[in-house]
Amino acid sequence: MAALARLIIFGFVALTVIYVSLSLWSRAVRREKLEERWAEKGRKGDREAFVRRGLERYDGSVRRKLLLGVYVVPICLVAAIIYFVNYH
Amino acid sequence: MTYVKWGLIALFWLLVAAFFHYTLPQHDIVRVTDTYEKRVDFGENSIFWTNANTGQAQGVPGRDVFFIQARRPNDRPIIYRNEDTGWGWPPYFKFDTANLQADAADLRSTQDDPRWLVVTHYGWRSEILSIYPNAVGIRAASGPDERVIPWVSIVILVFAAAVFWAIWVRWRRFRRNRIDPMLEDVGDSVAERRHRLRDWWKGSTG
Repeated sequence: MAALARLIIFGFVALTVIYVSLSLWSRAVRREKLEERWAEKGRKGDREAFVRRGLERYDGSVRRKLLLGVYVVPICLVAAIIYFVNYH
Repeated sequence: MTYVKWGLIALFWLLVAAFFHYTLPQHDIVRVTDTYEKRVDFGENSIFWTNANTGQAQGVPGRDVFFIQARRPNDRPIIYRNEDTGWGWPPYFKFDTANLQADAADLRSTQDDPRWLVVTHYGWRSEILSIYPNAVGIRAASGPDERVIPWVSIVILVFAAAVFWAIWVRWRRFRRNRIDPMLEDVGDSVAERRHRLRDWWKGSTG
């Protein structure tokens, strides 16, 4: 079981690195889009407030939660491989 | 210098290709002639044997390994080892070694009455290094010239290419937007300073 523990620990660390970079990147992209939209809408009101409202809406969105797939997809993949290699 | 650069690039891609060729599953059409078990004491080639750690004691110098003897349609022999990969690399998560050995023994056939099989495996056979591809699965083939389309390898290669491409494009964009202007700034200020130094030198001497 030491090998399984090693896989879980290293896998978790690697996936966390991917998850954190992906979420930072995704947030930056969202911020850029919000700033563009603020400019398109005629630059009305406070830019920072507009962007902050948009990002708060993004934090609660399904799109944000889809990033958790970084953890879910590899686990399902490993389960599927175990099934097809050993029990199929 | 160009030769060195292109040599390094070629070496890099050669290593990437070798890695995928070793790790991805391949399908052979063979008939199994026999199965056996042999003690193997790993030496310099130990990297080409799995270190599965699926419950057995670790740190022993050698152990018994299952082998599957087979013959290709062109009558050349091919020997597979049959080892657990366990939770380690490559990620086949194979634990059913003994079951696979039982299947292989059951599917044996003779030259006179051949029974063609598809053996899925990864790894290389090298007589010089004494290494064997690891059999992962076995099933009956429709005949000696069945053609197996390697869907798993296709999907993995396309996915890997897409990931590399996505990272490469973003890295280039990042370099163009952030690093190149910075280097240009540095270059500009060095040139300016040199210019000023030359002016000062000219002024003081002329």
